[in-house]
Order: sequence, then structure tokens, then C-alpha cells
Amino acid sequence: ASKTVDPAFHHLDSTKEVALFKHLEDTKKKREISDGLVPTEGIHPSVIALGLKMITYDICGSVARLVATLLAFKQVILDYTTPPGASLNRDLNHHLSPQIQYLNAARPNATAVRNAIRWLKVEISSSPIDITDSEAKARLTDRIDAFIQEKVMAAGRVIAESAAEKIRDGDVIVTYAKSAVVQAALLEAHKRGKKFKVCVIDSRPRFEGRNLARTLGTAGIDTQYSLITSLNYIMTNMNVTKVFLGAHAMLGNGYLYSRVGTAMVAMMAKDTEVPVIVLSESIKFTDRVQLDSIVQNERAPESELVISAEEEGDASGGLREWEKVKNLQLLNILYDVTPASYINTIITEYGSLPPSSVPVVHRLSTGT
Amino acid sequence: MVTQRAVPVGGPPSLDSFVKSITKIEASQVPGMVDHLISLLKRRQIRGSRNTAVATANLLMRVVSATKWSHVDAIISKIREIGRRLTRAQPRELAVGNIVRRVLGLIREEVENDSPPPSASLPAGTTLSLQSAHSTQGGVPAAPLGQPSTSMFSLLSQNPTPQKDKSSHSSKNIKAGIMEGIREILDELSTADDLIAASALEHIHSNEIILTMGYSVTVQRFLLRAAQKRSFTVIIAEGYPNDQDKVHQVLSGDPDSPGNSQIAEDSHLTFQQTLTRAGLIVILIPDSAVYAMMSRVNKVILGTHAVTANGGLVAAAGAAVISKAAKEHRTPVVVVAGAYKLSPVHPFDVEGISEHGDPGKAVRWEDADMVESCDVVNTLFDYVPPNMVDLYITNLGGHAPSYLYRIVADHYRPEDVSLDG
Repeated sequence: ASKTVDPAFHHLDSTKEVALFKHLEDTKKKREISDGLVPTEGIHPSVIALGLKMITYDICGSVARLVATLLAFKQVILDYTTPPGASLNRDLNHHLSPQIQYLNAARPNATAVRNAIRWLKVEISSSPIDITDSEAKARLTDRIDAFIQEKVMAAGRVIAESAAEKIRDGDVIVTYAKSAVVQAALLEAHKRGKKFKVCVIDSRPRFEGRNLARTLGTAGIDTQYSLITSLNYIMTNMNVTKVFLGAHAMLGNGYLYSRVGTAMVAMMAKDTEVPVIVLSESIKFTDRVQLDSIVQNERAPESELVISAEEEGDASGGLREWEKVKNLQLLNILYDVTPASYINTIITEYGSLPPSSVPVVHRLSTGT
Repeated sequence: MVTQRAVPVGGPPSLDSFVKSITKIEASQVPGMVDHLISLLKRRQIRGSRNTAVATANLLMRVVSATKWSHVDAIISKIREIGRRLTRAQPRELAVGNIVRRVLGLIREEVENDSPPPSASLPAGTTLSLQSAHSTQGGVPAAPLGQPSTSMFSLLSQNPTPQKDKSSHSSKNIKAGIMEGIREILDELSTADDLIAASALEHIHSNEIILTMGYSVTVQRFLLRAAQKRSFTVIIAEGYPNDQDKVHQVLSGDPDSPGNSQIAEDSHLTFQQTLTRAGLIVILIPDSAVYAMMSRVNKVILGTHAVTANGGLVAAAGAAVISKAAKEHRTPVVVVAGAYKLSPVHPFDVEGISEHGDPGKAVRWEDADMVESCDVVNTLFDYVPPNMVDLYITNLGGHAPSYLYRIVADHYRPEDVSLDG
């Protein structure tokens, strides 16, 4: 039986929604999940736990979500028993569907996650019929481990190493927000004794760059931190030599789908003739294409934009009452799309390539 | 940095109290008031183009009225000296220097008007047409004959004006004329935003999507005026970490929220007049979403801190990236600014255009340890080159960036562009 919705639980009325983005999944579902209002029958506990961690951004990057999702599904598979009269290679995919939907409601599945799920479904349906349940499950969990090893761990290492090779002494590198593979590349270059400076550009409301800046600074790298309003100053005064960007997805038309603000950094780099280098595992490549940041995006809860008194020492909290202000709308989207023309190189585990090669690599890596 | 912010700052003497006290003081206290304004500027207790301009004009008015001079050169050099000290106190408040130069121009004009005009050797008709060609747009009377700045006239005039001994003029008449002129400048400062807003309907059509950034009284009034007749959408980038508090408070329209009394005093805005109450849909976005939204924006309307002689802007940090994003999308950029923000100086003359603000604003309390491991940079201003702007709207009308040099030439005398020496 589904729970009745608590009348005190309120969500945005339609006048509070930005008209341009009404086609996107609203954030109601996320809140219902975190408030425990969504029925969880048949959902595996590890999947429920993962969904909550995604909502709170404890697991945020698309590669981290990919690994966590596969590990959760590994648990689902281990706890699964084929019902009598059914076969694992058909029934297990049915069993996984609600788990996938649950995660998708917590946060729309990342491109990398969708690619991995597509791969897993093929693996499941190609399970040999003549083996026992436990053998089939052992085979699948082994394949999952191997997939994570190959597509994430090894790929990340290869990319970090080839990006570190591109860093020279005296480089000033700009990066935006936080990308796990960019962080790995910078730490790798530092480990190799390269002397360079990193400018981390960050933005509200997630401030992911603070983590990166702290990690790099603590590691002993000469690190500078500023917000995106200072971007023009950084690009025109700091003698920047390279821009390293992470990706959420590389689109089939060579455009980069990444944390909102990335396009501005790439644009300014192009304007100041600084090479823009994207670091992306091929698992993030997709044949989906997109030209603007509006048709496809992810909306995050507007309440994230309200500055709490704790967050800022002298905050006015001017937005705390925003829902009562008629005609005032807040927009909190997670991604933007960077045109291929701003991008010089994409470093993948297959090597460095121009944006035009994205569909080629996608075909290579998926074997289609 | 962070710990400093915990200490409550005592109510700083604001612009109003400065203006009030300047009218009351004795002549002997004028030098003290100059020092007082210098310290207010240094400590940023009077900041922003309009406020610093008002303070400067009031101070100079008092200086002119309190000073006794026998020779006009004395008052000119005194004001130049005060101007040097004020601009040095806060080089980025270009409006201070602009007002000083305007006052110097006034004095020179008064002196020239006071001298008897030479007999014109040209037919009256020619004189008239030439005079009207030289009359400025600001309603300033046309340049009289023999004025050294009208170079065309001195070329045509067969009898060059002999240099008169300026000391012979009655300083009393001149003084009254100068005071009147400064009063007109103060008047212009208070009406500029309204005059700019008057053209709003010529630039905003119905159902348009306008993008603006941060908080500008001029932009606010411009949009409010258009909202009286038309409905459109305004997207506001919040200008974090320096402007968001004001932006959020003004949008909430809540006069009771802390800090609003300060804003009201700064801007003479009532919080009854918010954009949302005027019926506009207002979408507040983080600064990172500007590029994502730009593909749907029809026009970018920006306020600015100052305009340099070449038509470039010194505007709040973020303006350069926004105007670049607009260029990439072929979206027109309109800058609204009172003519008092137009400065005869070039961007390379502005000392440290990219002023750095409090790095503590860019990090939270719990991130205070970041400051130890990395260098935090928070810039306050961007320089935006003139090719990024499509249109300027001042209280004198709409202009292409390429035309601004003419307005600059109308407002300032070449001999006053540099206040040094």
C-alpha cells in the first residue's frame, strides 16, 4: 500500500517553475524519495541507500555513480534467486528494472551509468542457460568487477598519466568545479615532480571546487581558488597555459555535457587562445546529440540556492522567503553544453583525439 | 580574514551625514572635510559612482564658496590639488575625478564668459550655425566666441583673442556662476537615472527575455519603467560572492531584512518597487548558468561602475564573461549609465582595474582552512572592451561606443584630463 502524502509536504506550484525548463523532470520526486514517501517494496536495501546518497550528492560524479551503481547491482544479483519456472537470463533483467527506475528517480541516470546498465543487461541476457544459478551469478559478478577495473580504474589511470605528461614546468592550469580524473591527473603530474600552478574556478551552489582546491593545496601544489565571477581576471592576468575540464558526457556531435559553468570557462579559454583539454573515460561517450543546454538537463532543488545563515557569516538570507514572492523563480540546473569549437583535445584511454572523433570512439568502445 | 567579519562594524558615516555636515561647517573646517572624504573613500564607506560623485560635488561646492581668491588660477590649482588627493585615495572610483574635471571646466568657462567677447569678423549666420554645431547635448549653452577649446573657431577667426589678465574679473560673479554650475551637476546626478529610464520603452519589447547581472539602480529603474507598459522576463545573474546579498534582498522586496536600510539609503529605492511586484517574471540564476541561458536571451542590459574614454567598461566582476557569452550568441549588449560615469581616462591609466575584494567572501566558515593551503582570489571589477558593447544609453540619449569620445570631449577640457602637476 502506498503512503498517503502528508498535507504539510508542499512542493512548488507551477508559477514557481521556470517555463523554459518545464519539460524536465521536476525535483518533487527527489524530495519524496529523501522524505521516504516513495514505496520501496521490491527495492534492494543497497539500492535505496545509494539513491539517498545520490540525492545528497555524497556520490555525485558520474564515474562515482557508475561504480556505486554496479556495486549495488552486484549485491542485488548475489541476493537474487531465480523463481521456479523462469530462467535467470530473462527474469533477472525484469528484477533489475524497478531498481534502475528507483535510482533514476533519485537522480536521472548519468550517461556513464546508462551505458553500464545497457552493458549489464546484455551480459545478463547472454548468460548460458546450462549453468546453475550460483555459477551464473559468480560469472556476472566477475564480469562486473572486470568492467569496473577496465572501464573505470585502468581507463582513469591511463588518462591521468597521459594528461600528466602534457603538463610542463611553469604551466598555469585552469580547471572548473571538480572532476575526479582531472584531480588524479594533477596529482600524478605533481608526483612526477612537475612544477606548475592550478587555478580552480568554482561556483554556487555546490562549490565542488573547494574539495579539489583543498586536496591539491594539501598535496603541496601551488593552488589558487576563485569563483566564476573572477574568471575573466584569471584568464587575462594569470598567464594561463592550459585548461583541463572534466566531463559528464561527451555527446555524439562532439559537444561536451558537463557541470554548469564549464562552457563559460571553455569560451574564455578559446577567446584568450588557451588550449582546452577535456579528460573523459570512453564510458561517458554517447551517441546522443544536443546543441543547447535547455532541451536536456537536470534540475536540482531550488532550495539549494538559498544561502543559510550558517553558510555565510554575514548572510542576509534574502532568499529564505523566496517562495512567497510572487513571480520570483529560481533556476538551479546542473549541466551545460560546451560547443565542440571551444574544445581542442579530448584525452581518453584510447589516446587524445579531437571532438569530431567522439562517435568513432563510442562505436569502438561499445563494439557496435 | 574570516575572524574580522565576526566583529560588528559600527555605523559608518554615510553619504547623507557627510553631505549634511558639509553644509553646516565653517570655512576654516573645509580642509578637515577634504581629509574626512579622503578617509571615507579609502575605507570604502562611501562607494559606488553615484555616491562618490555626489560627495565630491558637495565638497567642491563648499570649497568654492569657502575659499577667497584674488586670482582665478588660485582656485583652479586648489581644486586640482584636492582632485589629485581624492583620486589617489581611491583610483577606481573614476566618478570622483570626473566631477573634479567637470567643476574645473565650469570655472574655466565662467572666466571665459566673464571676459567681453571679441568683435566677430564673420557674418552672423555663419556664427550661429557654427555655434549650434558646437553646442553640447547636455543643455550647456553653446560655446562663446574666442573660447580656446573651439579649435575650429580659432582657425576661422581672423582676430585671435588677446590673452586677458584674468585677475581683473570680479571673483564674486564668477563664484556665483560656479556655484550655480555645481548645483546643476548635482541636479544631473539625481535625475540621470530617470532620464535613462525614459527611453526604456524604445528598447524593450513585449514578451522579451532580458538578462542582467548583479544590482544596479540604473538598470532597476530602466526595467521598472518598461514594466509599466510591457510584460517581459528578466533573468538576473546574482554576482556571487560580492553582490548576491543586495540582489537577493532587493528581489525579496523585504525592507525589514537586515542590511536593507543600508541599501535604501544607498539607492533611494523603495522596496515597494520590486520587479516582481511590477508584474515581471524574474528568474534568479547562479553566475555559472549564464552561458546555458544565453541561447534564449534577447538582450543583455548591464549597469556599469564607470566608462573609460575609449568606450570600455569598468563593471562588476562577471560582466566581461557575460558580454562575451552574449557576443558568442549574437545577443545585443546594452549598457545603461549616467553621463557622469563617462571618464576621460583610458583603461591603462586606471590603477589596478581588477581590485581584489575580501577573499573571505569566497570561502565559507568551515572552509577557513582552505586559505592556508591555497590562495583565494576575489576580483571586484572587470574591464570590458568597447567591441563587446552594442549600445550605450546615457541621460543624453543612445550612442554607439564609437561616439563616446565626443561626449567626453563635450564634458571635459583637455587641459584637465590629467590632474597631475
